[in-house]
Amino acid sequence: MKRRDFFKTTIAGAAATMATSLEAGVTGQPIDNRKISKLNFPEKRPMITYSDRPPLLESPRCTFANAITPNDAFFVRWHMPDIPTHIDPKTYKISINGLVNKELDITLDYLKDPANFEQVEVTAVLQCGGNSRSAFKPTAGGIQWGHGAMGCAKWKGVRLSDLLDQAGLKQDAEWIGFNGSETAAYYETPNFIRELHLEELDDHVILAYEMNGEDLPYLNGYPLRLIIPGTYSDSWVKMLSNITVTNKYKKLFFMDIAYRVPDNACECETPEKHAKTTKPITKMNVKSVIGYPENGEKLQKNSHVVVRGVAFDDGHGIREVKISIDNGKTWKQAELDSGEAGRYAYRTFKLAINPTKYGKMTIMAKAINKIGQEQPLAKDIKWNHGGYKFNGIDVVTVDVS
Amino acid sequence: MRKLLILAALVTAPLFAQVEGDIAVPYMPFEVKMGKGFNEVNANCLTCHSFGYVLNQGRQSKKFWRGKVDKMIVHFKAPITDKDAAIITEYLYEEYGNGKLK
Repeated sequence: MKRRDFFKTTIAGAAATMATSLEAGVTGQPIDNRKISKLNFPEKRPMITYSDRPPLLESPRCTFANAITPNDAFFVRWHMPDIPTHIDPKTYKISINGLVNKELDITLDYLKDPANFEQVEVTAVLQCGGNSRSAFKPTAGGIQWGHGAMGCAKWKGVRLSDLLDQAGLKQDAEWIGFNGSETAAYYETPNFIRELHLEELDDHVILAYEMNGEDLPYLNGYPLRLIIPGTYSDSWVKMLSNITVTNKYKKLFFMDIAYRVPDNACECETPEKHAKTTKPITKMNVKSVIGYPENGEKLQKNSHVVVRGVAFDDGHGIREVKISIDNGKTWKQAELDSGEAGRYAYRTFKLAINPTKYGKMTIMAKAINKIGQEQPLAKDIKWNHGGYKFNGIDVVTVDVS
Repeated sequence: MRKLLILAALVTAPLFAQVEGDIAVPYMPFEVKMGKGFNEVNANCLTCHSFGYVLNQGRQSKKFWRGKVDKMIVHFKAPITDKDAAIITEYLYEEYGNGKLK
């Protein structure tokens, strides 16, 4: 079928419901009634789908009832329409060049050999900076994600620092540029490159080839991607092709214009007057999302319901999660998992509740991290033009009958 | 013994292509408003990205849409003429606008 025919079809895209709230208003809950698409993308089960070129897929809320997000339901976000459709793991190489003593071209075999590099694992949350963006009012610019532009996986790979050690950094090395393999329709379009300062790159940063015990799915960056635990995913470059060490920062669209918030204490601005200075989004703020029950779920009166969800932050760790079923008047402490998955992972929580009244019931979840930062109510979250970093208290409304 | 260990490692971690042959990203149908200017949108915008990328920005102001078109020209180097840029902005605002100029 020609593309043209698709335009004429009356079948609406799964995510084609538009946010209709037009007036300046109070930030609320993100859109949560989007349907799973009927299309299955490579290695993925059908997901909430915003775009095919580039692929933009959202994980459904049910994935937040578990500590690990399955690979085939893990969200997908690319910036360029063309991603390589075939990668041969036998010939694939990652290049390390620039201000190094020895330029390297490393194969996957070499990388995976414990004789060359220590193989390490980290369980970490991958979250888009624009996750939950549809909560912002007025509508902030960008894909109107619900809560599902995030997931948590166990990543296996090698430390970036070990790789750089093997190449040997020259004395004036300062910036590390990471280039992914996605390309645009025009040659002149800038590549998706991230530059990170050496100081930002600690031993927790890895180049991962494995996700939850399997090769990375193509759409999550096969065969190799950057993992920067605790930060938003805009820096976790997928399908890494090149690492270049420099002493000078280059001006890059995805660093200097996209993925930035106002550089003021509230990180906020108004639609009429955008902030003059901005800063990168980098570290994630404390957040929790309920995985079960879901909005609109029908529960029986006096039934025993276990509310489940996940909480995380930038690596300080979650201290507690509180649940309210009376619109925030009273809060009960939820039970947290052991935390043995580490401080960058989802911390799962659960709480048994017993709906005793007919009608609508709201369930709210609030996480507090180990340095006392807690999630604000959604209405208290101030606006920013990119709709980044939403972390309002999650609210799910169910029907008790 | 060491040799044995290496063999075992090879057996448990074989290198194989993730999927057989090339992957194919499916085409997704989107409901498109065939308003004035859609031809220009089709020719200039949809050569690079899907209509879903437009549609799922939510309803926005005229200034926002003009800004998006400019971003494509300035940062992504899309060869869009001034005339088409104006037509595309009108289309986007007409069909996916929020009623506000700014």
